[in-house]
Amino acid sequence: MRAALRSGRGGLSQAQWPDCSIPCYLGVLPAALETAVTAEMDSRNNRMIDLALAQDGFADAIGALQQQLDPGRLGLVMGTSTSSIDRTESGYRSLDAAGRFTSPFIQPRVHSPHAPGDFVAERLGIDGPCMTVSAACASSAKVFATAKRWLDQDLVDAVVVGGADSICLSIIYGFHSLQLVSPDPCRPFSPDRTGISLGEAAGFALLTRNDNATGIRLSGAGESCDAYHMSSAHPEGLGARLSIERALKDAGLATTDIDYVNLHGTGTRANDEIEGKVCAMFNNSRTVLSATKGWTGHTLGAAGIVEAVIAMDALCTGLLPGTMNTRQSEAPFHLLLDNLERPTRHVLSNSFGFGGNNCSLVFSVA
Amino acid sequence: MIIQLTGIGIWTRGLTHFSTLLENTGIDPHAEYVIPAPVAIPARERRRAGHFINLAVEVAHQACEMAGVDKRTIPSVFTSALADTEISDYMCRKLAQNEKLLSPTQFHNSVHNAASGYWSISAQNRAPSTFVGGFDRSFGAGLLEATSQVVAFGTPVLLVGYDLATRSPFHEMLPIDVSLGVAMVLTPAHYVVSSTSMLTIRMNIVPKSGSSDSTRPGAHPMQSGLDLAHQSAQLQRGLKQVSTLAIDTPRSGHLWIELSRESGK
Repeated sequence: MRAALRSGRGGLSQAQWPDCSIPCYLGVLPAALETAVTAEMDSRNNRMIDLALAQDGFADAIGALQQQLDPGRLGLVMGTSTSSIDRTESGYRSLDAAGRFTSPFIQPRVHSPHAPGDFVAERLGIDGPCMTVSAACASSAKVFATAKRWLDQDLVDAVVVGGADSICLSIIYGFHSLQLVSPDPCRPFSPDRTGISLGEAAGFALLTRNDNATGIRLSGAGESCDAYHMSSAHPEGLGARLSIERALKDAGLATTDIDYVNLHGTGTRANDEIEGKVCAMFNNSRTVLSATKGWTGHTLGAAGIVEAVIAMDALCTGLLPGTMNTRQSEAPFHLLLDNLERPTRHVLSNSFGFGGNNCSLVFSVA
Repeated sequence: MIIQLTGIGIWTRGLTHFSTLLENTGIDPHAEYVIPAPVAIPARERRRAGHFINLAVEVAHQACEMAGVDKRTIPSVFTSALADTEISDYMCRKLAQNEKLLSPTQFHNSVHNAASGYWSISAQNRAPSTFVGGFDRSFGAGLLEATSQVVAFGTPVLLVGYDLATRSPFHEMLPIDVSLGVAMVLTPAHYVVSSTSMLTIRMNIVPKSGSSDSTRPGAHPMQSGLDLAHQSAQLQRGLKQVSTLAIDTPRSGHLWIELSRESGK
């Protein structure tokens, strides 16, 4: 991902998805994901998780950590919106006459919201507290907030957090029913934006309790609800504002301390306009903001972890990604259109979801 | 972690309010299950919400009423093993056909935090709210998350566990014979509970690793919530002074719980 961001290589392409007739762009992995997931746990979502765990030596690093920890002191919080519904959809195409799943879809642990957490816990051998958060597009941002509470309360010594959501017909036809799917690659915050491009992703991070740490610190987390509408954001962005303010307060920082904001920035007319109003609070000489869904697509329940990783990597490299596909901005703040490189100390990432569920995270150089 | 249990909401076959357990009027074994119609949300929203969401909203409001907490400010944790199997069934059936048009309302209701959304809208509540899954050990997952939030926020937290009775093809994955919702208001240990509170149970919750042997094969995923409600009623009626339960959490852990009646209240 780091190399792709640096070289300006995005992941959206024209949709060629089986049984899908809606013209759109998707951020997809190869259609057939070849991995060695067991038949009991097999699904597209779990295959993607399996691939992500092997990236950057993550699974090996967890293995090394487990040598030093009491097994019950390593926790896991996964975030997902779709879970393995891709597999449930497939299973429904071959139900038997009595309406039951047929082989190979008889997979009790897969047809459940907890499938990603269950799969990762088994794959990594995690025996501490384990659960799967499902709060739509805020899911894998909220995993950081839950893990932070567990660490603060000494329930665990370390927590694997992650998120995974895969492309499936439910989301393409679902967002199409709300008339939110763009026929073009999405252009967040562009005056002529036309909606979202969907994507799929899995990602992970390891959180430990170490006050003397070098590296990256989760300095604040804020959560809120809009209490307004199931699929439309509050017109004044009340909930979004609360989650940002709570995260900043938790971090003990002001808006002017934040070097970079990774916006939720879906590319729909209403969402970007409302997030724009709220994020006018970052209109200062320091903060630059960008939306990265033009690179990845909207990965829904995985968007939280994907964008947290992008924001955290900015602390390591100083590379602040631009808003791909967007060439003009009317945003009331410094929207970064092209990549920028500069030393970065504090970053904030927004994730807002259906049900009016919001989460903002602040990461800092330790 | 020591906290108080100050409100309980419950809805299942023959048991549609915690007061039934408190008054020991007996649960009619021949009762039919009735789909809840929570008065807390407008009739139009109730129709849009569907059974699963209405079940959660009903018990959530019951628990808050009993605890006398401010519905506008209490954070909430929702948990379910299979989530809304009626909507999953609708969506997957439609998507298996050539004509794949979905209802936008059904689609936005399909997110697992849908009940949290309807609840927060009905209560005008902008506090943090989440949904956690733990398959057949979901109630334990929810209880752990809610307890941890009580400690973190220092305020009462609402826990709602709910699952619908299953039909094929989900029934063969996890057989659930009756719909059951159970909600609890968990309150910090030293919080001054309002005088209208009917129930104050002291809970000592200790997360432990290793197996507890408490999960009964074929048990309802929210059975441990129902057990907690039954034990609380017995304590409240003075039939017991202390009660202990082990509630399984996902993977190998469990929560070891000691319940006792709060003295002097």
